[in-house]
Amino acid sequence: MIIDVHAHWGPWFFTGLETPLLEVMDRYGIDRAIVSAAEAVQYDPVAGNRALARFLETTDRLYGYVTVHPRRLAEAERDLRAYLPTGRFVGAKLHTDYSGSPIASPQTRDALAMLADLGCPALVHTWDTSVLDLAQACADLPGLRAIAGHMGAGGVRYAIEAANSCDRLYLEPCWSHAPAGRFAEVLAAVDDRQLLFGTDATLIDPASAFGAVAAARPSGETAERIAWRNAAELFGLQV
Amino acid sequence: MSNPFDADALIGDLTVTLDIDVLVGFYPQLDRAGGTPESVRAVLAGHRITAGAVANLRAALHDPRSGNDEVLALAGPDVVPVGVVDLRDPIGAVAEVERLAAAGVRAIRLFPDEQGVQADFPSVRHVAKQAARLGLVLLTGGDVRRFWRPLAGLDARVVFLDTHFYHLGDFLVVAEDEPGFCTSTRLLTSPDALEVVAARVGADRLLFGSRAPLYEPLVPRLRLATSGLSAADVAAVAGGTARTLLGIA
Repeated sequence: MIIDVHAHWGPWFFTGLETPLLEVMDRYGIDRAIVSAAEAVQYDPVAGNRALARFLETTDRLYGYVTVHPRRLAEAERDLRAYLPTGRFVGAKLHTDYSGSPIASPQTRDALAMLADLGCPALVHTWDTSVLDLAQACADLPGLRAIAGHMGAGGVRYAIEAANSCDRLYLEPCWSHAPAGRFAEVLAAVDDRQLLFGTDATLIDPASAFGAVAAARPSGETAERIAWRNAAELFGLQV
Repeated sequence: MSNPFDADALIGDLTVTLDIDVLVGFYPQLDRAGGTPESVRAVLAGHRITAGAVANLRAALHDPRSGNDEVLALAGPDVVPVGVVDLRDPIGAVAEVERLAAAGVRAIRLFPDEQGVQADFPSVRHVAKQAARLGLVLLTGGDVRRFWRPLAGLDARVVFLDTHFYHLGDFLVVAEDEPGFCTSTRLLTSPDALEVVAARVGADRLLFGSRAPLYEPLVPRLRLATSGLSAADVAAVAGGTARTLLGIA
């Protein structure tokens, strides 16, 4: 069993991204994925969330993230209150770059506070040192459970520091680059109850995250926790 | 309990017969140790990579001549030496290209990012022109959207080592005009990039590259093994094309 906690549904603007998500998942034996709508991330969160809600009616292998635009918080709250009770959406997605809202901005802090109040796990794009800002948000907001998307990409040393500062901060490894030993470094330094598996499909092929994790050779219960158990517990999934 | 991250099961019997992007030596910026020849050989063997086109970071970052001599001494069935020049010294670089060609080296690697050299610096085109004149293959780092320009129109055989799938469209449009332009697979890690290259300009433009030991070879191996390419194309990408390009039996 593998659950991908960082996937996308819908088209991307780069050349040659065509294979549907479920087919991409099948290449690597990924059973379930939690997805945000690419449209919601890149362009219009309300329209994207609405389209994803309709699509989720067609498959039981996918769950949804409500994409939250920190500068459009009233709309985000309406979407969260509409979609989370359906059980088909299990978390929120915040992309700091597309929304022009860094983690430390007042707008994103307000969005994270709202999600903490709702008890809604948040997948947040992190890059380099910004993962430390997410750790600070977790420290400041006792109800917040957050996933550091990309675990800081090249800033993995900051991701380790961040995860070790708060047990409500989770790391997932997806990145289009795969420096040797990146995930092994995390595995050696972070509690395995805070590690999740994410791919960024269909933007990135799961080969990147799968290979990074496999190269670190997690075994037994640790591999199971990374693959699905931590995700099932965090999102309350019945698997 | 079966391991959910069983990469071997996905990769099957894929063997890489020539990895176009292998390094020995050290990056001073990295915390961890780099690659001694012995450790690099162990990495390759652990990934069923039977040979690598190996360049030396000493040559790229410090002294081309002594670094190249180190890698020339490694030549054997599992090591195809790749020469390195310093683009910050175009006069010395051309002299080193000529020395390496006379020594039987088949490929020259450019490290523009590491040497702080931009695509429009005169050095790049000057060195590339001389290498192409001598029939050497050029392996180059740098952003393909910029480094295509100084390498175009030279009738050169070029392998772009840093082609990211974000920039795949730009590679394809220049590759259509430049029959000698190829790309490493290392960063073509989108779900469709390999297949798109094969369909648009041919699988013979794809060369397996890992950048071992600095990058994780498992990733491009997985992507190639799970691709939609035919078995013959996979074998070509996994080293057949590179061996032909570098004149290896």
